[in-house]
Amino acid sequence: MHHNYIDKFSHGDSPVHRLDARAKLLAVIAYTTVLASFSRYAVAALVPLAVAPLAMLWLGRVPTRFAVRRVAILSPFIVMLCLLGPLYDRNLHWVAFGPWRFMISGGWLTAASIAVKFTLGLLALTALTCTTPFALLLEAMRRTRVPRLLVMQLGFLYRYLFVLIDEGIRIRRGRDFRGARRARATRRLAAVGGIIGSLFVRTMERSERIHVAMCARGYRGEPHSLNRLRFRPADGLFLAVITLYLVVCRWGYPALLS
Amino acid sequence: MEILAMHMANELLSVPVAAITLLVAGGAIAVTARRAQKTLDPEWLPLMGVMGAFVFAAQMINFTLPGMPGTSGHLGGGVLLAILLGPSAAIITMASILTIQCLIFQDGGLLALGCNIINMGIVPCILGWWLYRVVSGKDAVVPAWRQYIAAWAGCLLGVTAGAALVPIESAFAGRLSIPVTHFLAVMIGVHLLIGVVEGAITFAVLAYLRQARPACLGLAAAAQKENISRKAVALSLVITALLLAGVVSWFASTKPDGLEWSYLDHKYAQAQSAIKRPSGTIDAVDELQTKYAPLPDYSARPTHMGAVGAENTDEAPSDDAWPNINGWTSLAGVVGTAVTLVAVYAVAILLGRNKRVLGSGPSLTSGRSECITTI
Repeated sequence: MHHNYIDKFSHGDSPVHRLDARAKLLAVIAYTTVLASFSRYAVAALVPLAVAPLAMLWLGRVPTRFAVRRVAILSPFIVMLCLLGPLYDRNLHWVAFGPWRFMISGGWLTAASIAVKFTLGLLALTALTCTTPFALLLEAMRRTRVPRLLVMQLGFLYRYLFVLIDEGIRIRRGRDFRGARRARATRRLAAVGGIIGSLFVRTMERSERIHVAMCARGYRGEPHSLNRLRFRPADGLFLAVITLYLVVCRWGYPALLS
Repeated sequence: MEILAMHMANELLSVPVAAITLLVAGGAIAVTARRAQKTLDPEWLPLMGVMGAFVFAAQMINFTLPGMPGTSGHLGGGVLLAILLGPSAAIITMASILTIQCLIFQDGGLLALGCNIINMGIVPCILGWWLYRVVSGKDAVVPAWRQYIAAWAGCLLGVTAGAALVPIESAFAGRLSIPVTHFLAVMIGVHLLIGVVEGAITFAVLAYLRQARPACLGLAAAAQKENISRKAVALSLVITALLLAGVVSWFASTKPDGLEWSYLDHKYAQAQSAIKRPSGTIDAVDELQTKYAPLPDYSARPTHMGAVGAENTDEAPSDDAWPNINGWTSLAGVVGTAVTLVAVYAVAILLGRNKRVLGSGPSLTSGRSECITTI
């Protein structure tokens, strides 16, 4: 596991990459809000909402296969949620599709609506993280008055996340190779406790070393960043276009449908 | 691969509920951050961030459940962190973990972040820590069995209370197509089991630290290795089983199945089925629904509201009141829970048949919550 796996497209260069991180963050939050505001039977009305994330992914040169794989990996829980609907909600609804009209149970409409919303929301989030380095996202959060302590924690967490995940995977592999699977349950539990406990002690010691190293490099309680965010006219234009687009999607298109 | 992610998705929330929970979570974090910044040593700042990474690593260490080959549990970490670092540091750490999971791994929706921080961070950290403190006491020498009971009780309460909030939040959002009591019963039932696994792993870690670093737990150095009595373990398991049977059947029995048929008898439902004009598309139904229902799901069904929407209780018949304890329905509740658990177990076996060792890919990128994982 490497941060490269998730982060590999965010350092590229494209019109989307060059946008201010704050503008992109705001746009994705607004987009997700609009998506969630649709009723749970809305399916047809959601179609134009697919344009923005796909356009951002395409302009940001993120391979579609990558984005689709992320959706597929995260879908099992949502699939469960979708399939519960048809079991319970059996009211019939009229659905019109061009000249054809047919009845469908509310549960299936809900299932389709949830699936579409989930996919679109995930694509938008993928478009954000694949076109914005995490450090810039943190800087954007810091500028938008997210508690400073939390932003600092996110920075540390991101820095050491993959280091420690790798360590955990190595330890687990070592344990499994040594035949831990055949031991009694209490022995296995004690082994898990020992492994996690020693990992905890080691992490404490590591964080002390990190603190000393930070102090040696001039840390006095405030993080310094070389990342500069500049809000340019292009970002204003981007936000204006997104706002207009979301307004049309939320109020214009559904009105047109009915 | 994980089958029971507890991370809440955007799809279970409406915009007002998401906004309220985000505000509550944000306020709680701001207060905790201020407190932490005042009381904590600056040395603790990197510690909390690195501890978040530690939780991710600890979640890699799975524990194959006894008697359930193919199913394994792993640590959630909230209660353990609260015990080891104190509740405010644990809350900040869990909040940063959940934010990273949302932004980087796209696990749990952006709008649901507030809910997830409350359900999996604030509630388990505070409740679990509180119960652990109450049970274990403040002495420098705590017997192992007492620490075991404390860890078990803290994890059970913390994990289950957090999980029970998921159905309640989505019920307030009106996004549930299943009755809220059913969802609640399933969440509580499953998370009682997850809480037991969490408690067992948490205690195993605490037992190691008792020996290796008693200072971490604020304990005096232990003289020798102590075994916890079988009685304590048996007691905790029996109480869990009773809770599972009792609480779950209590909730599950309150509403009969086939809600949708009685729904059809209702006046608003008739209004809905009356829409048969040619242009009766989905949106017409939507419009009608928003017109009649500020809380779309629950205000339209006064007799089936369960715990939420108490404003319409005058219409609820007394024998259908919540909670309803009735011999046959509680039996049905227990049977239903058992069937759900067997189904989960069967899926676990099916999915785990071909994969003997958990691959790193899917587990890393999917839910990393208090979960039963299948391998």
